[in-house]
Amino acid sequence: MASFVPTSADTLEDQRLYTSARLTEVACLDCLARVGVKKNSDHHTSIQWSREARESCPELSRRDGRGRDYHQGCPRLLASIETAVREGQVDIGAEDGY
Amino acid sequence: MSDTRILDRGTPPERFARGWHCLGLAESFGDGKPHRIEAFGGQLVVWQDTQGGLNVLDGYCRHMGGDLTQGTVKGDEIACPFHDWRWGGDGKCKAIPYARRVPLRARTQKYATTIRNGQLLIWHDVEGSEAEPDLLPPELPGVGTDEYTPWTWEVVPITDSHCRELIDNVVDMAHFYYVHFSFPTSFRNVFEGHQATQFMESKGRPDMTGGYGDAELFLKSEATYYGPSYMINWLDVDYKGFQTEVILINCHIPTGPDSFTLQYGITVKKPEGIDDKTAAYISKKYAEMFGGGFLQDVHIWKNKVPVQNPLLCEEDGPVYQLRRWYEQFYVDRADIQPEMVDRFEFEVDTTKANEYWQEEVAENLARKAAEEAEGADGATAGSESDSPSVMTGT
Ligand code: FES
Ligand SMILES: [Fe+2]
Repeated sequence: MASFVPTSADTLEDQRLYTSARLTEVACLDCLARVGVKKNSDHHTSIQWSREARESCPELSRRDGRGRDYHQGCPRLLASIETAVREGQVDIGAEDGY
Repeated sequence: MSDTRILDRGTPPERFARGWHCLGLAESFGDGKPHRIEAFGGQLVVWQDTQGGLNVLDGYCRHMGGDLTQGTVKGDEIACPFHDWRWGGDGKCKAIPYARRVPLRARTQKYATTIRNGQLLIWHDVEGSEAEPDLLPPELPGVGTDEYTPWTWEVVPITDSHCRELIDNVVDMAHFYYVHFSFPTSFRNVFEGHQATQFMESKGRPDMTGGYGDAELFLKSEATYYGPSYMINWLDVDYKGFQTEVILINCHIPTGPDSFTLQYGITVKKPEGIDDKTAAYISKKYAEMFGGGFLQDVHIWKNKVPVQNPLLCEEDGPVYQLRRWYEQFYVDRADIQPEMVDRFEFEVDTTKANEYWQEEVAENLARKAAEEAEGADGATAGSESDSPSVMTGT
């Protein structure tokens, strides 16, 4: 049950495009986490975690979730993403804004 | 089929968000009088009992609908101005002075309360769940002691906008430049569970604030929503090498389907070697600056339409993901989907946007200099004003 209800079916397609289209799976080289990665450009990175991935990450699990450190990314995952990008596994560039 | 883009305004939610909502500074309710707070499509009554505890009930008496906010505090209870029924903070009617006994069903809507960082927070949930202490915003160490200035606190009623407009700004990197005249130099968002964070480093725009002074203003900001309505914004300000630590609270109470009350508070860590009066002055100046920043947003909100299908460019922040996160507070708990609470990270190095913006600023400065050289009409060019050169969080 949605609360902010779109009045056009196209909006649902937009929601899909902007949130889940073009996500490439990247596996962490240090733990079992697999995340969805999108790069609209060299300067941009989006990372979509799942609950399983989040629970697999020892680095994020160490934080209690209340402190001001919770926002920082996991450095090992970031390094793994960089490697994947360098090896050409992640497309760089957006498609019409998504 | 036309390829013209249609704005989908959608329909706003019929309910108000689940979560902790801040009603204001606790001390402002401690005068022995009932206080009226507009909230959740109605009004609440707030009063202090003899133990010093703060109580919050629905503002209308369950007897004949009298306005409890116009009543009187008698002992621990709020007495209705209509027939003097006495209501306790637990929501029960404790006494009816002219009656032999109180009907067992004489219970009204009460709200769980807590004091956090000197502010009164209440739990709201249309499903009537128990308050969740785990979802409270954190305590701010040192705040409320001599280390920090007392809160300055402002209350601004906003009409004709749903409070989601305020939330959207968490991801809206570009508006900081266009609406608030600051340069974001790095930008990051993280959403997870009930928290949504924005990190931003920015500096003031030299072309918009009269003189170069504000180009020397650097700001490191970390702003987190704890639930749907309460944001803590930690700010490290560097102005001409002078460092200040500021904490800004940005919170709101929804009052109707397209209105809310914005409240914001500022406290400043007293810099070493500065007396209280100067520290209070600094705090007041920041409050004015952010107050002006909010007004810039309000002007936009009042004149825009709601949009359910924003059209984004690839440099824009994650609006859809933020709204997906925000949705969790508007559905029954059983309907919260994993993707609403799963961790999502967004990072953009703003170098590219900045190249463009730097150029624009340089052009503006050059034009201004040329106009001044010509002695063109004395008045300052364009939108230069006493506008604040920085804004964060929203
Ligand atoms: S309406 Fe409140 S006492 Fe009668
Ligand atoms: Fe804003």
